[in-house]
This record gives sequence, C-alpha cells and structure tokens, in this order.
Amino acid sequence: MARRTEIIEAETRLGKRQIDLDKVIVFPRGLMGFEDQHEFTLLKIRDDAPFLILQSMQDPGLGLLVGDPYTFLPEYCIKVGDAEQTLLKVTDADELAVLVTVSIPPGHPENTSLNLTGPILINHEARIGVQIPQADVNPPRVLLRLAPGAPGEEDGKEAQDGTGEKEDSGEETRQ
Amino acid sequence: MLILTRKAGESLYVGDDIRITVLSMQGKQVKLGITLPKDMVVYREEVYRRVMEENRMALETNNEDLLVAAQLWHGVQK
Repeated sequence: MARRTEIIEAETRLGKRQIDLDKVIVFPRGLMGFEDQHEFTLLKIRDDAPFLILQSMQDPGLGLLVGDPYTFLPEYCIKVGDAEQTLLKVTDADELAVLVTVSIPPGHPENTSLNLTGPILINHEARIGVQIPQADVNPPRVLLRLAPGAPGEEDGKEAQDGTGEKEDSGEETRQ
Repeated sequence: MLILTRKAGESLYVGDDIRITVLSMQGKQVKLGITLPKDMVVYREEVYRRVMEENRMALETNNEDLLVAAQLWHGVQK
C-alpha cells in the first residue's frame, strides 16, 4: 500500500491536532458499534500517560480512550482467530500491538478501568486494526488501583464485575 | 424474524456459503455447528453487546476526568 506522508491539521476530541497521515490506521470492520468508521489515529493525551485516544478521522467527536493492557496486566491473554489474522495481514506476532478500551466513571477518574472483552489489535507495519471480542475468559473489566507512590503496580487490579460467566462459554471448536 | 424448525443433524444454509447445523440438544442447550467463509467471524451476542457497551463508555469519558486519569497514572512503566 502506498504510504501518505502528509501531515494535516484536524479537529479531534482533544481539539486541533497535527496528524501524520502515515500514522492513520485502517479498520476494515470499524469498531463494534461504530462499523462505519474505518480510519483512526492514536493521539497522545500527555507524553508519559499510559492512555491514548483512538481518534476517528471521519468524526472529530469520536475518540475512544484506550490503553496498553500490558502496562497493568502483563498476563493478559487474547485469542486471535484465523479470519482476524487474515484481516490484520499479520505475518509475525511482532507486528501486532494490543490496546484495550478504558472507561472512567464520570467524576471518578480514580476508578478508571480496563475493558478486556474487546481488545483492539493493530498491525503497526500494515497499519490495520481489528477489534476482536474475546469469549469471556477474562473478567470483563479490571479496575486500576492506585498504589501509594507507585501508581498502577502490577498487582494493582481488581475484578469489578466478578460474574465470570461459567456457562458453556469456552466451548468453541473448529472442525 | 424467519422461524424454522430443525431436528438434530439437520442444517440450513444462509446464502450459498454459510451452513448452520443443529448438532445436538441437551436440556436447555442447543449445540450448533457453523461452516462459514474464512473471512467471516461469529460472536456470541452477549460478548458482542458487551464490547459495544464498553466502546461507548470509552467514548463518553469526559475530558476533565481523562486528564486527571492521565495524571494519576502518568509515568507508569511496563
């Protein structure tokens, strides 16, 4: 794919930003609930923050808070099906980056949580992204806990919704 | 909604290349076999809906909270 090297100024959720068109990520299937949005880019909120905004290139108001789950949960495991691997045009696992959406209850940023059910995989070489729902092996959300003096320690997590869903779930076989 | 009745072992086609087979029924559960093109994906509805809901929540965070959260967890390293 020919790469664009232009930098444009665009309206985003965080106001006007310079966006390098080379860094635009194509989501062939969009995001769940936003299937008509196919181009996104990642915006920094501030330099050393573990959170980013996944900003739609089509809709300035559409920017989802996302973060690198491995900063907080090194053991987070995800399953990528064949169809999704094909969509991502992935040839090597090193090409992939993983993001999860992050939610903050209004007025309670201390209760920020990671949403582990729908990780977003990005092939950063091909600049393709796909959101891949996981059959509930993970707790759906993990609350980030602030450890005094050392925010976001590895064990600073806590299942917020412990339903866990036992029934059937994992049983999914391909023949 | 189209409603069809099938017995265990019977199938139906959705279009030409999607085949859904009722494999077995046990109590309240029905086991389905689904054959579909390689580039198509199947999700359980509840998982799909949860992800949609989470996406919506990630969108609705207000900018003030977002800046505070970024501040609270700034400098966190792997």
